[in-house]
Amino acid sequence: MEAVPERISVQTNVLNANQQMAAANREQFAGHGLLVMNLMSAPGAGKTTLLEATIKALQGQFRLAVIEGDLQTDLDAQRIEALGVRAYQITTGTVCHLDARMVARALDVFPLNNLDLLVIENVGNLICPASFDLGESLRVVVCSVAEGPEKPKKYPVMFNKANVVLINKIDLAEASGVDLKELAANVREVNPHATIFAVSSRTGEGLTTWTKWLQQAVEVHASAAMVSV
Amino acid sequence: MHEISIAESIIQIAEAKAREQGARSIQVIKLRLGTFTTIVPDALQFAFEIARQGTLSREARLDIEIVPMVVRCVVCEASTQPVNGICLICEQCGFPLEILSGEELQIEYIEVDSEREESPWRQCQNEFQSRPMC
Repeated sequence: MEAVPERISVQTNVLNANQQMAAANREQFAGHGLLVMNLMSAPGAGKTTLLEATIKALQGQFRLAVIEGDLQTDLDAQRIEALGVRAYQITTGTVCHLDARMVARALDVFPLNNLDLLVIENVGNLICPASFDLGESLRVVVCSVAEGPEKPKKYPVMFNKANVVLINKIDLAEASGVDLKELAANVREVNPHATIFAVSSRTGEGLTTWTKWLQQAVEVHASAAMVSV
Repeated sequence: MHEISIAESIIQIAEAKAREQGARSIQVIKLRLGTFTTIVPDALQFAFEIARQGTLSREARLDIEIVPMVVRCVVCEASTQPVNGICLICEQCGFPLEILSGEELQIEYIEVDSEREESPWRQCQNEFQSRPMC
């Protein structure tokens, strides 16, 4: 008898495996009352420098640690460690984004207890990281003025998934001929709900507004975690 | 987006399902792919042809149903399909739009070859193997 084609229902998301791992990470973070930030941007937007400035402003306010993601080198982790903050470097080799499994493996060697905030600095890439949930609480996208005003329209999925957009290097706005209002409007077009901050890590302009917001987010998250226990 | 790893995930999920049902080979994998994802259909087809070699899916066809992005205003409830660029602010009333569809990346079903009846030779073999040794 000839083999007869048979249709079998699957109804499974292709990224199901990552989603399950992300959910497990999320549960682990919740168990520690830990606020976790997934920090993303194009390469060269100034993520690491902005993170250094953020750490300097908030150190001593609460306990934080960083997971760094790059294809090669541990240069970024070294920079964070130089500030006295524990940093763990994931080097992906050729993979252009972090995924939930890489983060889960890092958590095995990187104790989470006694932390209030964990920042995961993703690989510099405005495309792939948008599709890979890591189990984070907050998605923060950094967009520098030097990249021009059109980035949000060209990479709508990434900007749409952001909870916070940090417009960085605003000290270069005049030199770049970029209108900050236009850039903010472009962010709002693809994401009406994002909280937008305009900062310069170099001059410090706008930094306090961002770091105060983050500090409040950590405090609210920690007290919510205590209530639910 | 590196479509090769997406193609590999598709094949893994399809094969797990096929093996679960005792299928010999996969003929069709039906995928629903939204336009508001980072995946390009042509690139995915190309990657699939490479990734399926030597697997249960080696003769499979990847049917991609493109799911258009549909957005709806949370206030005035006007529904639209963005054509040129994505704007999530309602043209009618200025309130935010929610995304109703277009983010899908889902395997809907597979079609497999399943043996319905055993050949006489296979029946004989099975009978021989299940007979106790004396």
